[in-house]
Amino acid sequence: MTYIALATGFLLILIGFYGALTNRNLLRMIVAFTIANSGINVVIIAIGYMHGRTAPILDATVSAADALTRVIDPVPQVLVLTAIVIGVGVAALMLVFAYKLYERKGTLDISKFAELKW
Amino acid sequence: MVNAIYIIVAALGAAFLLGLLKSEKRGTAYVITLFALSVMTWISAGWVWAFVMERAAPVDFLTGGTSPPFSINFRMGLPEAVLTLLASLTGLLSALYMKDVLCALGQRAMAVLLVAVMALTGIILTRDLFNLFVFFELAIISTAGLMLLSEDARALAAGFKYLIVSQMLSVFFLIGIIFAYHATGTLNIDGMATASLGLKAGGAIAFFFLFIAVVAELKPFPANGWGLDIYESAHPGFAAIFSAATSSAVIYAVDKLLLIGGAEWLPMATGIGVITFLAANLFALPQTNDRRLLGYSSIAQTGLILAVLGQRDILGDNVLYIAGGLLLSHAIAKAGLNWISGLVAGRELPDWAALRSRPILVFAFVTFIAMLSGLPPFPGFYAKWEMVRILAGEGRIALIGLILLGLLIEAGYLFRWFGYIIKREVPAQSVRCSPFQISAIFVALASGWALGFVWGELSNQYFGHDNLLLAIPVVFALTFLLLDWLPAWVKNSIAIVGLSLFFYLTFSDYDPLRMIFAIIFLIGGAVILLASYDSKGRRIGFYPATMLMFAGLILLIRATDTFGFFAAWELLTIGSYFLILRGKHSEPHALSYIIFSLGGAFLILAGFALAAQGAPLFNIDALAQLTQPLAPWVFLLLAIGFMTKTAAIGLHIWLPGAHSEAETDVSPMVSGILLKAGLFGLIVLLMTMGKQQLYGVELTYVMLWIGALSALLGNLMAIFQEDAKRLLAYSSIGQMGYALFGLALMNHLGWLMALMFVINHYIYKSMLFLSAGGVAKRTGTRDMYRMGGLITLMPLSFIATLIGIIAVSGVPPLSGFGGRWIFYNAIISSEYRLPMVIIFLAGPIAFLYLFRLIHTIFLGQLKDEYRKIKEAPFWFILPQMIYVALLLAFAVAPGVALRRVDTYLNQIFPGGGLQWTGTEISSAYGYWNPVAIMIIIAVIFGTLFAWLLFVNRKAQKVKQFNIVYAAERPYRPETTHFAWNFFAPYRKALGFLVQPFATRFWDGVTNTLHTAADISRRLYNGNGQSYAFHLLSFVVIAYLMRMGA
Repeated sequence: MTYIALATGFLLILIGFYGALTNRNLLRMIVAFTIANSGINVVIIAIGYMHGRTAPILDATVSAADALTRVIDPVPQVLVLTAIVIGVGVAALMLVFAYKLYERKGTLDISKFAELKW
Repeated sequence: MVNAIYIIVAALGAAFLLGLLKSEKRGTAYVITLFALSVMTWISAGWVWAFVMERAAPVDFLTGGTSPPFSINFRMGLPEAVLTLLASLTGLLSALYMKDVLCALGQRAMAVLLVAVMALTGIILTRDLFNLFVFFELAIISTAGLMLLSEDARALAAGFKYLIVSQMLSVFFLIGIIFAYHATGTLNIDGMATASLGLKAGGAIAFFFLFIAVVAELKPFPANGWGLDIYESAHPGFAAIFSAATSSAVIYAVDKLLLIGGAEWLPMATGIGVITFLAANLFALPQTNDRRLLGYSSIAQTGLILAVLGQRDILGDNVLYIAGGLLLSHAIAKAGLNWISGLVAGRELPDWAALRSRPILVFAFVTFIAMLSGLPPFPGFYAKWEMVRILAGEGRIALIGLILLGLLIEAGYLFRWFGYIIKREVPAQSVRCSPFQISAIFVALASGWALGFVWGELSNQYFGHDNLLLAIPVVFALTFLLLDWLPAWVKNSIAIVGLSLFFYLTFSDYDPLRMIFAIIFLIGGAVILLASYDSKGRRIGFYPATMLMFAGLILLIRATDTFGFFAAWELLTIGSYFLILRGKHSEPHALSYIIFSLGGAFLILAGFALAAQGAPLFNIDALAQLTQPLAPWVFLLLAIGFMTKTAAIGLHIWLPGAHSEAETDVSPMVSGILLKAGLFGLIVLLMTMGKQQLYGVELTYVMLWIGALSALLGNLMAIFQEDAKRLLAYSSIGQMGYALFGLALMNHLGWLMALMFVINHYIYKSMLFLSAGGVAKRTGTRDMYRMGGLITLMPLSFIATLIGIIAVSGVPPLSGFGGRWIFYNAIISSEYRLPMVIIFLAGPIAFLYLFRLIHTIFLGQLKDEYRKIKEAPFWFILPQMIYVALLLAFAVAPGVALRRVDTYLNQIFPGGGLQWTGTEISSAYGYWNPVAIMIIIAVIFGTLFAWLLFVNRKAQKVKQFNIVYAAERPYRPETTHFAWNFFAPYRKALGFLVQPFATRFWDGVTNTLHTAADISRRLYNGNGQSYAFHLLSFVVIAYLMRMGA
């Protein structure tokens, strides 16, 4: 199960990178990167998953005393939460840039924005 | 001390506060921003104070009430304190600098700026890997946001490209983090280091991703096109932060990561660093856009620092001193240069000539490029010295070579730029700036000098070197910066008194050999400075440069260890470069001078470092104890280095232009005095190391050949010159060839002759340059064929020239003859036949060009336009007359100077000296009595002269337009002038010898570099997708190299 999740995660990352490298359209590139980001989130979760354990929430079913043996490691999940937030922020910023770039030149083709070079 | 977390709290709190303000309250918002940045600066400065002054121990600040790994901890140590201070101070100054644009864009822009600086301090402080990632992402987002501050519409695209790349990097970063966490069970950096991540399953790959993600933020070659675009299009105020603060923070993050990775990852850091350093500097060569050039240079510098971090295994604790010196030099200089770039209207490099309207900005610029090039007295210089010393001690020679090559290329384009500023036409749009902007630049300038002092003190404390900024000659030279508002004659008097006084105070320190040089440098310098009284006005910049050169010269002969010697060498090089650059048309020549000189200096640096074998303090005398197989290599490096300064053939191409295009009173200084520095170096080298063999080749024998060829070819090239000063310049190549030859003979008389040349060359070359300069000043041309018949109008110049050429050509009775006499004695006693023949041949050739100085300038027909010119200015004539007196005195009594040296040389070459009895000097082959010769010549000359007057007593004076006079029309186009191309027949016969082979060779080298750079930099095609592809290839290649190794 873990391996399937891991493999899916990496596959998503590769799809994302492939998409970003082959699509010239700014919006498509942004979407590709969100896919890659989802991929990395899946990978993190998969790494943190421990077989046969429950969610790291201390309540009636899991007491603080036996948490160590019964819950999965909460750290990766926390990391994913943060990573998602950051990912959203970056994606939003990229969309703003894409919008502004489109305003300027009326195109979304990245190869048209190569005035800065050499 | 204040808890370091408040640095972050201050920024975040202020940023939130800004969000609450109404959008009209921009002034308030700006004040809050400045206040927050000041608080951050103040807290960091307090920590720096605590660590430096009170020797406090590093402190960990915990968050969340528990200790790591269950919470994030921030560490505040000396490096963190310095770097947070750097980041927040840069932020504060840039905020001041960008007042207009920040106020125009409102508080949101200010909040983003605060977040950016906060993120950088976070990167520096945190010890938690994931926290590091978060701060990285914050830095990226805020960077992209701040790109919008720029007026340049292209900045949008640059920001987007940056986001593309950073998206890929954050994926790598996260993969690295999660696998590293999986392997070690902690996110704490120190915890991972203790758990030795690399040894765990998958640990190496996890670390690879972490490492590459952070290193890629340093814009390594070739994955750095996006960085360049940011530098080029960002607002200069932000580019300063990006270059100074962001790079420093990321470098520190790499340093922290290397703690986890351990020693096995160091070579990779060095490899990536040094390749980036070289490639970026190379690509910068053909740049014309100033900001992009600064970007290339920034990338190169961070590459260099990365390479230094990768040498941590051998640098040990010194890494802080070395990498720190380079990092702070880079940060301050780049912040300063970026800020200046915002004041210049045009984006082409020559547009920076606008700075000339504000001398303080020119001074700031030159300070910054000196800091970048690692020149004294700035931290980069000390860092460079210690780095090369330690690397050489461990035998990492190839790395030294690559680093020095990169530094040379960097110095090349930076000084070319400086040449544009000083020499190009001032553009119509002048420098516009607010007091805030000036003060930001001023703070950078002041901190540059302050850090130079600090590094000097550290160098003194840890390695026992002298602090250059405390050396009296340097202080004296720098004082002239403060006195530059005084009129030139006052400064000139101070300079002359200073030189003489220093000689008076120290003359008992020198042995006879050094005494000769001390007299030439100090007293000789004072005499030449008499000519400078002729200049009117303030002569801004002349005296600091001149006195810096003299400071270097005098420190050179006073140096006892290799560090002092090398520092003096660089000081005199920089000083003389500024002097040479002052000439009207000397821009290209000054550039080639500085490049050759720095190249030579780097060879000397490498030689000294190799000799020291890692020892921090290496006495020059200890060179004598070097043994095979090291010794000949040290000898070779040092000898080539010194021969660049004496302009030995092949390395001579900088000299003619540099000497002839210099100002009238500068030419004698750089020719008569400065060339002796190279000879002094060679003397020290040969005195300590003597004969060395490399692969069975006697190296002194090679030098003998070089000397002979320099003498022959230098003289040959001189005879074909039309320009009087150029002729004298080429003649110097020949003369230095003689001296080199004498030294390379490695016997008593050879050395005596070389020292005689040192004295003679100083006197007559200074004199001839002054008279040629005086004539040129009056006639407005240096082309000899345009002159003629000046003997009656400028009789004193004529006398000086006549005496000068008699002395140079070595005919009796003047001191040149003494030189020749010793010389012939010296070569008779040696067994080198063929070079001897060559050097004999060179002698008569000298007559050919010397003769022209009299014949073409002073004899012949007076030109119409010069009918009313006067004698050269008094202040030019005065030193010339002093030289005439000196030459005559030295001719009659050479023993005054030479006898002591002769005795002294007995220590080095026992026996083979001269016998001094009364006025007579005798050698194994004959004797020479200067007084008798003088009397005989005087009698013969007197008799003949009297006879001539007697037989011509009734002769009729023929005026110029008398019909009797038929040979030459007084007024003709140059091409038909008899003195134009005077030695055409010789050119036909010998021209093949004076083809500019060396010039062509060096031109070829520079052209190849330029072309290669111009083609390769097209890699950065501007397409964001290509940049993403570069990044991916970089990662893959790095991975393959890493796993293959």
